[in-house]
Amino acid sequence: MAPSRSSRNSLQSVDLRALDYLASPSANLLCPICHSPLITPVQTRCLHTFCSACISLSLERSLTCPVDRKDLSHDDVTPAPIMIANLVNDLVVLCPNREKGCEASCARWLVESHVREDCGYAMVKCAKEGCDGMVARKDVDEDCVHEAVECEFCEFAVRKLDLESHLRECPKLSSECPHCAEPFLNPELSIHIADCPAEIIDCPASHFGCPYTCPRSEVDNHTGSCHFIALTPILQLHTERITTLELENKTIRQKLELLIPPRPLPTPSSSSSNPQDSSTNTGSSSTTRDMTSEMQDYTYHLYSEYEQLRSDVERLNAQIRELDVKQDMARINEGLRYNDEMTGMRAAINGLRMQLHWLVASRRDAPTPNSGGAGGAANRVGAGSSTNDGRRMSDSARQIVKL
Amino acid sequence: MALPKRIIKETERLVAEPVPGIQAVPHEDNLRYFDVAIHGPTQSPYEGGVFKLELFLPEDYPMTPPKIRFLTKIYHPNIDRLANWSPALQIRTILLSIQALLGAPNPDDPLANDVAQRWKEDEPGAIATAREWTKTHATP
Repeated sequence: MAPSRSSRNSLQSVDLRALDYLASPSANLLCPICHSPLITPVQTRCLHTFCSACISLSLERSLTCPVDRKDLSHDDVTPAPIMIANLVNDLVVLCPNREKGCEASCARWLVESHVREDCGYAMVKCAKEGCDGMVARKDVDEDCVHEAVECEFCEFAVRKLDLESHLRECPKLSSECPHCAEPFLNPELSIHIADCPAEIIDCPASHFGCPYTCPRSEVDNHTGSCHFIALTPILQLHTERITTLELENKTIRQKLELLIPPRPLPTPSSSSSNPQDSSTNTGSSSTTRDMTSEMQDYTYHLYSEYEQLRSDVERLNAQIRELDVKQDMARINEGLRYNDEMTGMRAAINGLRMQLHWLVASRRDAPTPNSGGAGGAANRVGAGSSTNDGRRMSDSARQIVKL
Repeated sequence: MALPKRIIKETERLVAEPVPGIQAVPHEDNLRYFDVAIHGPTQSPYEGGVFKLELFLPEDYPMTPPKIRFLTKIYHPNIDRLANWSPALQIRTILLSIQALLGAPNPDDPLANDVAQRWKEDEPGAIATAREWTKTHATP
């Protein structure tokens, strides 16, 4: 009996597009039109996938594919592969009655039957015969809440369902003012609360920092002497200017972020390069101090890097100079050595030249090779030296020259 | 009528991951109505200006395009032209297109005919006027 009664349900269909998903679904499973996981997925001739309802609506307005604008007709749309449909139907969704208190979650294809048959927070027809009201399924076995009952104070007929909220504002009932504890009839209470003289209120300039509070009836005594109220116009002006500047600052920061890539964080060694500065700014608020010290850290980091680079360059300069000197020395030494060698060579060449001269001269003085022996012999004989040996010696000398 | 999920999603994303140089804030009492501020692109005559627009999502959005109107006076040959709408586009893409259009005016597809004419005949003059209007009307 119970199931057949509770299966009567006004929420015959669940709006699948309004469902919330347990985990955010993959972007590939979203319809490009409704941005929800596909519902009854279909595929176009150009291989794009949409919800069946979405692409039909779109084709009513324009016969093109919404993604690539290619021509498309209703005939070009076919059901998408079953696998895609299964993928989206298996996504886990939260019960649409979650706000009323249902904590159930299930696969999307099961959510309709959950709401229709199981969900205790779905509205079903009231069990009382002849009653057309709706009631949450979990309360269906209670007494009918749609019967009219009379309010015992104002004699006004209200439904049982609404009795509780009625009692809070029944015009014949009075409630206590939360500030002065005096009873007022409900319709008059809100008017009274709005200016109850006993209510403790803040100074009108409390948003500028005045800590003073007092009952409403005494606030006039304070406003006359409050410094904050006296300063209100100028404070107001400053607040407005700060707001404008903050806005401007935000825009500039956005532009800067676009222009400059995020900078590397300063290394710990560089931040300690100038220790006395981290202790100088202690008076300002913590956020600005953080920012300034961060800026300073960064500046010191840059500065130390700059110093390091400068010393590097100096070192390199010195090395280059040293190398220059070394090379000069080497060149001079080499030059000296070459000079010596050249002198030696020159001496050797001179020696050779002398020998050549002597040989040429001796050859010019000698007769032709055939008669040379006789001439030479005659000379030598004439010189009176040992005859045969001398001739032979001159012969052999001539041959050496030839070689 | 309840707000479609798509509009809620788009709004959430616009707030969570704003497009650089574009702010779009929905009205609290009407979530289909957005106040938009677009910063003029750098190296365009609109640089330094902040242009306020109103954007309204009609009942059948995304089947029909959003309605956009410039609230700040702007000297531009083709402002607020929304041809070629497709439901696969979204608020952020449309605002990006407008920002891009500010960077590259196209006098061959004009909406404001007199501006387009001037842009064709005397481009430096037109750019100077655009810059001047930006300074007078769009500088916060």
